[in-house]
Amino acid sequence: MNLLVLMRMVPDVVEELEIAPDGKSLDREALRLIASESDDHALEEALLLKERYGGKVTVVVPDAPEVGDLLYTAAAKGADRVIRLRGIKTGLGVAALARSCAAALQATPGLLPVNLILTGTQAIEDLDGLVAPLVAHHLGLPYIGVVTAVTEIADGKASVVKEFQAGYRGEFQIALPAVLGVQSAEKPPRYVPVAKVRAAMKSVKIEECEVPQPTPAALEGIEVLAMSKPEVAGRAAMLEGSPEEVAGKLCDLLAERGLL
Amino acid sequence: MTDPAAGLVLGVPARAILWLITLAAFGLFGWRVAAYLRVLARARPEPRWDRWPERIRRFVIEVLAQRKLLEEPLIGVAHLLIFWAFVFYATGFFWNLARGLLPWLAVPYADQAYAMALALEIFGVIGLAALAVAAYRRYILRPDRLEQSRDAGIILGLISVVLLSSLLGAGAAVLSGEAHGWRPVASAVAVPLAAAGIGGTAASGVVTAMWWVHMVTVLGFLVYLPYSKHLHLLASPFGVLFGALEPPMPAASEGASRLEEFTWRQLFSGLACAECGRCDRACPALNSGYPLSPKMLMHHVKELIMASLAPGGNGHALLREKVKPEEVWACMTCLACIARCPVGNEHVPVLIELRRKLMAEGELEAHLQEALTNLSRYGNSFGQSARNRARWAQGLDFKIKDARKEQVAWLWFTGDYAAYDPRLQPITRAAARLLARAGVDFGILYEAEQNSGNDARRAGEEGLFESLMEKNLAAFGKARFEKIVTTDPHSLHALRHEYRWSNGRPQVVHHTELLWELIRTNRLSPVKRLNGKVTYHDPCYLGRYNGIYEAPRRILHALGLELVEMPRHGSRSYCCGAGGGRIWMEDVAGIQERPAESRVREAAATGATMLVVACPKDWVMFQDARKTAGLEDKLVIKEIVELVEEATQP
Repeated sequence: MNLLVLMRMVPDVVEELEIAPDGKSLDREALRLIASESDDHALEEALLLKERYGGKVTVVVPDAPEVGDLLYTAAAKGADRVIRLRGIKTGLGVAALARSCAAALQATPGLLPVNLILTGTQAIEDLDGLVAPLVAHHLGLPYIGVVTAVTEIADGKASVVKEFQAGYRGEFQIALPAVLGVQSAEKPPRYVPVAKVRAAMKSVKIEECEVPQPTPAALEGIEVLAMSKPEVAGRAAMLEGSPEEVAGKLCDLLAERGLL
Repeated sequence: MTDPAAGLVLGVPARAILWLITLAAFGLFGWRVAAYLRVLARARPEPRWDRWPERIRRFVIEVLAQRKLLEEPLIGVAHLLIFWAFVFYATGFFWNLARGLLPWLAVPYADQAYAMALALEIFGVIGLAALAVAAYRRYILRPDRLEQSRDAGIILGLISVVLLSSLLGAGAAVLSGEAHGWRPVASAVAVPLAAAGIGGTAASGVVTAMWWVHMVTVLGFLVYLPYSKHLHLLASPFGVLFGALEPPMPAASEGASRLEEFTWRQLFSGLACAECGRCDRACPALNSGYPLSPKMLMHHVKELIMASLAPGGNGHALLREKVKPEEVWACMTCLACIARCPVGNEHVPVLIELRRKLMAEGELEAHLQEALTNLSRYGNSFGQSARNRARWAQGLDFKIKDARKEQVAWLWFTGDYAAYDPRLQPITRAAARLLARAGVDFGILYEAEQNSGNDARRAGEEGLFESLMEKNLAAFGKARFEKIVTTDPHSLHALRHEYRWSNGRPQVVHHTELLWELIRTNRLSPVKRLNGKVTYHDPCYLGRYNGIYEAPRRILHALGLELVEMPRHGSRSYCCGAGGGRIWMEDVAGIQERPAESRVREAAATGATMLVVACPKDWVMFQDARKTAGLEDKLVIKEIVELVEEATQP
């Protein structure tokens, strides 16, 4: 079983994000990047599949600051190959990112074909969840997203669970090779102790691949006009006093707002 | 004078029989001891060969004077007397044995030398009385957590036979005319013997018979000893001698579960354990209903050794086969078990090795995983940006110096809780105002400070500790300061004892030490006398780990407060339940009373209306506990800094 996990670094929202002076992008100098959360789940699902069916897990990540940490951590968790894609500009629109990633995967010798490509179904920069299906489109592979489990792989097909709203779930069969957009792995992503990551830094070699040709920053016809920071609402109020007093104030408030 | 080893027994020379059983007994004893030593040789090394004057001092206090046993006075005194009776009897035994085996030695038997005979009979009576106390405690009082083994009964019986045979022999010797001088016990024993019609040659026969009973029992004891819990008698003096002189922390390892993965000293604890249960009685995890018993942990270590000695035994793994992961995670690393253990056992390092094993397998609960991930990424367990570390200082009307940019006398290491917990930030600001008012030249590291790693290390994440230590040491290296003060006992311990300072460790003090110094030298003067009855909780990492008990108490006295002590104070202090990474873990099912709740109830029972703490984690834990324990009206929790500010505010 050959599994490829496509991951990416996204801005860490624990740190305060700043808009760049041009008003149209994030200030990349000020931000810290972190592995996208659902990509971490995609990696975990791949590692679980490897444990179940054997095979190899290859992790591919577009180059970014601190990407080494992500790749060494992935190796320490059990990834067999870790690859950094060079030449993909940061801050690309999702369509351009997907096209670049697909092109890089195809251009890298010995990478494709694989049985399954797993990636996060969403990222904080890609709330519409476009990168995963677009990569599938460019590679000409079937795609299914919001996956929460891969229940079986047999006879060139995978059975997967896809989640819908309000806890509804459906089980689907997809022909391999395919691309899965993973929402969450069957288990929370594993913890890997720092010592193992440090050992991986010494023993694991990060492979590097060049993206064949530069890609446009965005699709034609779309232009960023402005970005803005969230507005602080500041409407929260603390109700103080004894439980009876607090309950009374709460009732008054609800009545005042016409909710009672 | 008769020689009990002369003559024939069933036609065989008695001395030959003595030689035979002596060689057999010592052979069996030596064979077993050698087997133990071979097991220890298979274990990983752990250097314990330094600081001999200190080791010998400790040996005198803990082995010869039995300080920790005396903490429980009834059995403590009894055990001390049995121990010293044993020492005299062992001396008498070897003396007699040497004389019996080697008839050409120009000395009398021990019981024929007046002073020794007198000492033996006096210690015999004392020993028997002490044995009666021990039996009364074991079988009538039945203390909690004392292991009720058949072993203990056999040993009590054997020691009784050893003492009684000696006393009966001495009594008979009075009647046969072999005992001389003032022999109060022997004379008293002789009375009923005489009444039973024993005298002359019959008495002489009794002396010889009792001599043999005594010698054979002791030789039997010698063989039995290394197979029983009374192995502690042999092992514990070495346990104390090679004990940890600082709170123990195993050297970096990938964890341990199988025999050869542990260090010899960790295994040795299993051999030295006397199953007395002092650790269990002190353990906050066990007493709250967590599934951990430090005594059983030691017992499992012993089983690990025994299993490897069994014929064809390849040993087993400690983890999961004997100790469940829930037990491993239950420990708060408060050190109460080690502080109470009379034989110098080290329970916590064994648990840390097991935690490292679980950590390497990635088996840890979600909350702990989140805290460790945060520590590794942001340098704090709160998962907040490092840039916000000094945000608490924004509420001050002066700016705290940045020790990375300007020289300061004192570098203040705040620790995570004081810096990030919004409930504690007002106290952190109060500490800053106090230092400023006292004219202390101090600074902080701002976003360069990281969690000290103390609790990550105790959770078994050794690599994370290393990484946090390296980052902090790099920040210290770039700062200019003379000494370090910290408001966090956990950080204090790591900085003082576990960091590898390349250019010598600077002085690291706790804020209570610095505040006391400022008050003592009138740089901070109480202007208002505080009134009231307060009690003080000794934080584990301040007290047991670092021996700082006096400074906070002196401060409280100086402020005019009446300090009433809780029953568990000083080195007997009871953990709040937050240590060793437990603050990041969920309570488990089956908890009867959380350690912090037990503690606030204990505080309220003293009649004090205020529980004073000197550790940010204690403040958080006790604030919660006083609500869950329903003591909101009776007890307030204050950090000592708050009181000092109140009393010194002009």
